[in-house]
Amino acid sequence: MSQAAEGSSGGGTVEYIQHHLTNLCIGDCDPITHKAAGFWALHVDTVFFSVLLGGLIVLVSARLGKQLTEGVPGGFQNFVESILDFVNGQISDSFPNPPKIIGPMALTIFVWVWLMNFMDLIPVDLLPVIASWMGVSYLKVVPTTDLSTAFAMSFTVFFLIIYYNFKSKGAVGYLKMFLFHPFGKFFIPANIVMTGIEELAKPLSLGLRLFGNMFAGELVFLLIALLGGAATLGLGLLIWFPLQVVLDLGWLLFHILVITLQAFIFMVLTIVYLSMAHTKDH
Amino acid sequence: MEKAKGSGLLLISAGSQLTSMVVAGFLLGYGVDVLLKTQPIFFLSFGMLGLVGGTLKIYRILSDPDLQ
Repeated sequence: MSQAAEGSSGGGTVEYIQHHLTNLCIGDCDPITHKAAGFWALHVDTVFFSVLLGGLIVLVSARLGKQLTEGVPGGFQNFVESILDFVNGQISDSFPNPPKIIGPMALTIFVWVWLMNFMDLIPVDLLPVIASWMGVSYLKVVPTTDLSTAFAMSFTVFFLIIYYNFKSKGAVGYLKMFLFHPFGKFFIPANIVMTGIEELAKPLSLGLRLFGNMFAGELVFLLIALLGGAATLGLGLLIWFPLQVVLDLGWLLFHILVITLQAFIFMVLTIVYLSMAHTKDH
Repeated sequence: MEKAKGSGLLLISAGSQLTSMVVAGFLLGYGVDVLLKTQPIFFLSFGMLGLVGGTLKIYRILSDPDLQ
């Protein structure tokens, strides 16, 4: 709670929350607020943690791949196989003839998003304090609480939707979808706008849902952390400490469900959107 | 013409779909307005179209017997 201690009066609470919600930004950043001020701003912490977790998936998969056993699998292999079966089940439910890329992509999305969300369960002050000892002034450890991550993934899915639409419907078929859907051939201008809005809403809803849920979750953790942080004002306020422990534990247990649900929803909707793009009709 | 069995999973996104379509409408309208310098005509009209389209879309998702 050392950073809560710094903000012990006045706007300290607001400062504490703002500090934790500010990315480590390099490039085109505002020198006062440290927020991105242009296109060429890079959130180093977001990139670092997402690449680190991606690397972890690759490393663990590569190690497990070498140790696969037939017959009765070991504990971890069993666990991974159950995740694989779960993802495969979702794909076969939603996608009649999936291309080969869908399985690995859905699995990657599920595991990666889950791991990035999982960073929310690490005590909010732990990594930022360790980083501050190393001279890093800002650190936001949950990549999915950064709008850039959520939209980077959802717009990747969006480009894949466009690609599969072109591939399965052809350029003319895709154009027809824009021209004649949903009001028929007499309302072409309205159809173009409406279909454009409908298509743009897909990545927007994917990205905003993930970002919104994770950002709100992080904020609740910060507010709970402030309860114990209040003890830095006076020892009498340690009376809040048991409440903080109970609330933190409760929200943590609930949040395990939230992070899993968000990863699941992102994966499932990606599969459903791509399966819709893969059909010949609309 | 195959209909995916699991497309009922779209119901998960029914809530945010409505909001996103309104937001997407406003965004698209804003883009067109900036291009044509006609603020705020397309911003408002596309936003309204997003609301209408979103409502229609939700109605279609919820009343599709294949999705039940």
